[in-house]
Amino acid sequence: MYLILLPILFPILAGFCLLAYRKDPGRKLLTITTGICLVITGALVVVALMGTKQGLTLFHLTKKLPIYFNIDKISVIFSLLTVIVFLCAGFFSFVYMKHEQKEKRYYGYYLMAFGVLNALCFAGNLITFYLFFELLTLSSFPLVLHTGSKEAVMAGLKYLFYSLCGAYASLFGIYFLYHNCETLTFTAGGVLQISPASREGSFFLLIAFVMILGFGVKAGMFPMHAWLPTAHPAAPAPASAVLSAVIVKAGVLALIRVIYFIFGTGFLQGSWVQTAWLTLTLVTIFMGSMLAYREPVLKKRLAYSTVSQLYYILFGLAVMNEEAFTGSLLHVLAHGFIKSTLFLTAGAIIYTTGKTRVDELRGIGKKMPFTMWCYTIVSLGLIGIPPTGGFVSKWYLAMGGLTGDIGIFRYLGAAVLLVSALLTAGYLLPLTIQGFFPGADYDDTACRKQEPARLMTIPILCLTILSVLVGLFPNIITNYLTDFVSTLL
Amino acid sequence: MIICVILIPLLAGILVPLLPFRKRCHKEIFLEGAVILNSILVWYLLLHHSESTFLLAHFTGDLNISFRVDGMSMVFAGLVSGLWPLATLYAFEYMTKEDHENTFFLFYTITYGVTLGIAFAANLLTMYFFYELLTLVTVPLVMHTLTREAILASRKYLYYSLGGAAFAFIGLIMIIVYGTTTDFILGGVLDPLKIGDRTNVLLLIYVMAFMGFGVKAAVCPFNSWLPQAGVAPTPVTALLHAVAVVKSGAFAIIRLTYYSFGTDFLQGTWAQTTVMIVVMFTIVYGCSRALKETHIKRRLAYSTISNLSYILFGAVIMTPLGLTGAITHLAFHAVMKISSFFCAGAIMHQTDKRYVHELNGMGYKMPWVFGIFTISSLALMGVPGLAGFISKWNLAGAAVDSKNPLAYAGIACLLISALLTAIYMLSIVVRAFFPGRDFDDGPIQNVHDPNWKMLLPLMVFTVFIILFGVHSQPIVDFFYDVATGVY
Repeated sequence: MYLILLPILFPILAGFCLLAYRKDPGRKLLTITTGICLVITGALVVVALMGTKQGLTLFHLTKKLPIYFNIDKISVIFSLLTVIVFLCAGFFSFVYMKHEQKEKRYYGYYLMAFGVLNALCFAGNLITFYLFFELLTLSSFPLVLHTGSKEAVMAGLKYLFYSLCGAYASLFGIYFLYHNCETLTFTAGGVLQISPASREGSFFLLIAFVMILGFGVKAGMFPMHAWLPTAHPAAPAPASAVLSAVIVKAGVLALIRVIYFIFGTGFLQGSWVQTAWLTLTLVTIFMGSMLAYREPVLKKRLAYSTVSQLYYILFGLAVMNEEAFTGSLLHVLAHGFIKSTLFLTAGAIIYTTGKTRVDELRGIGKKMPFTMWCYTIVSLGLIGIPPTGGFVSKWYLAMGGLTGDIGIFRYLGAAVLLVSALLTAGYLLPLTIQGFFPGADYDDTACRKQEPARLMTIPILCLTILSVLVGLFPNIITNYLTDFVSTLL
Repeated sequence: MIICVILIPLLAGILVPLLPFRKRCHKEIFLEGAVILNSILVWYLLLHHSESTFLLAHFTGDLNISFRVDGMSMVFAGLVSGLWPLATLYAFEYMTKEDHENTFFLFYTITYGVTLGIAFAANLLTMYFFYELLTLVTVPLVMHTLTREAILASRKYLYYSLGGAAFAFIGLIMIIVYGTTTDFILGGVLDPLKIGDRTNVLLLIYVMAFMGFGVKAAVCPFNSWLPQAGVAPTPVTALLHAVAVVKSGAFAIIRLTYYSFGTDFLQGTWAQTTVMIVVMFTIVYGCSRALKETHIKRRLAYSTISNLSYILFGAVIMTPLGLTGAITHLAFHAVMKISSFFCAGAIMHQTDKRYVHELNGMGYKMPWVFGIFTISSLALMGVPGLAGFISKWNLAGAAVDSKNPLAYAGIACLLISALLTAIYMLSIVVRAFFPGRDFDDGPIQNVHDPNWKMLLPLMVFTVFIILFGVHSQPIVDFFYDVATGVY
């Protein structure tokens, strides 16, 4: 029963010990220790997922305010994604972090963020979730400001205060929910027993909207997305990978929990909140793609891409039907694997060549063919070319959108998805094209192979393979989810 | 017995300059002993309290000086007596760098007795008497350094407080005239027959008395004395200007609202709306000023202004739950703020640095102090699992429960303030722990943590911040009983 606590407490304590340990343990020892801790945590998560049968109430903060952990299918999906991305990016950083300082501090916070994310996945009620949501912000902002340059510090603070702002907005909603719900335990179908037509109901629609905006900050929702493109390029590449692939997904998880498990879709379906939310998501998808398209710095481009892609997921959530919800979860996985690969390849390129702008990277495919192949494969995935991960999820999203009961957004949604896919191709593929086909005037006598170390390429390869597998065998996931999803709606 | 706990600190204080101590440590042992003894007596009194009133002096008619232990006194006296020994211990170490130690300890210790006097006062007159006395005995503490700045600050403090007390005095007179008694009775003592059609006059008087006592609780626009008074030595700023003095103001307002005028009389009137708006404004105002301030202690002082208004916000919701929230924040904020003030003091004591921008990279040199400072910052922000979350939870819960739309707006103020708190507290923490790439720690090579006399109080506070955060049920239940008049 207490198994569920192990993957939470172990990495947090390990990270804390690393931070509190005053002496410098030496690079080799440090990486070995961190590696072991990461692997153990991964194993503990799997053990916890297999071994947990019922929820665990730890203690009560105050009256009716339990700290409660439970595992359902949503937790399984998100925690598996977390483990895989954290392990891959962790091993990647063992090489990458060579050119940064204060590695001990980095690994300390990295482990803590890992533990907190596990807790977030396992949280069984809104208060527990909120607790770890705040802790996630606090343990991950040191990763953003790690390099210590002035921009990085400012980016870290921006991330911190934007996230806290969002968290407090949602806390506003939690105060009201607590007084009007029997319990805040996540229950499929929602716990709010108020009709949206009543006077109280209209107030709660406002509360729902505030909470969507609040948790949406973490997921980079327009107009509070500004921290995302600032924070990602400032952070070290593996940190951006986890940030983009998993930590912003905490915002997605939060919205799933709040909308599907607390308010219930019945409450929001057809209300102005749904309309406003759909509008926001479509605006963000389009805007993110556009901004990415005209952004010259590779990591920043990827960050804008994250803004846009996250809103595919949130679009699916906002539609509120089964196909769209399945599509969202598939896209959580697909985007998680793809975007972490993209950031890791960007990191590998920065590490070996020191270049950050796309137009400086002509002929990169000749120098780092393996890395660039991985980049190309996952790019195709993100665009949505059939056998890869992105295709299936977008298919579900578009189907959900078209069959959904959402009026004009039915067609608008599908149209925006297509335009955005085009733009995705437009901002991801130039690097491939320039990289492999630098043009006739390119002098390739000077270039030699500069493939990065094994410890960098293997994580990239693993994530690439996974992203393809999601596309090849989506049925495993959809079958796993079918029953569960139908209870939600 | 009650009079003992008020007199012991008085005597001990007076004896400090008179007794010929051969060594400094003898004086320390004497003072610490007296304070601890007194605290033990107070706790004994609280745990074995009787309902009876102790009459000290009788003037005329109903007017008398008398003491009683009821729920609110238990909370306030328990809080003060818990903090005082620790603060005294801290002061020993801190005062090694300041002059006129004897004068300082004289007044510092007397203040303990006077504060207990406020806590145990059984009627409005007694409370008023000790309230004025508190102003007088704490003026020398603000003036302590005798710089021009300090003298100006103390003068301002004196005038503000006396002026405020004058308004409060009008309230006292009105209670004598229109009330059945001046004793504190939960639910109020106003006599509807005597009031007749003068309701609005009384409401106006309430607002005036609220603002009068509000001077000590630093309600906007009467708050500028508090940041200025930060020139006093840190034990004074921490204990008096974050707990004893300012919370006497909040305590007096609670007494006035719940025990003299009565919530039935005030609930839903324009007076409630007025004071609630003032309080909400102060919450946001204090935080915004804190954001702008770069002097650490003044920043914390502005933060205190905002947090005191949290307490008053709970109080002016005027429901038992609101009072519970107010009391919870009264107690929890005391612990959190004294902890952060003591950290600031420790920094000043060890390094002579007073401004936020001088703190770069200090976190690694003074890990304990900054670790504790971080925890108290997080608690003040209201991160779940620490004390601040619980008190804000209770305040917001009371506001939701009151079904008053203005109180809903108050919740928004609380959250805006929480965000601002995060910004002004965490920017210090970030500076200390993440000084940036070009940081050179040469100039602060020799900085280190202070000795145990400073660290022990800090650790005790931290333990309580965490304890209240994760297991607050018993104490919140107790506060609820106090608010509903069980004690």
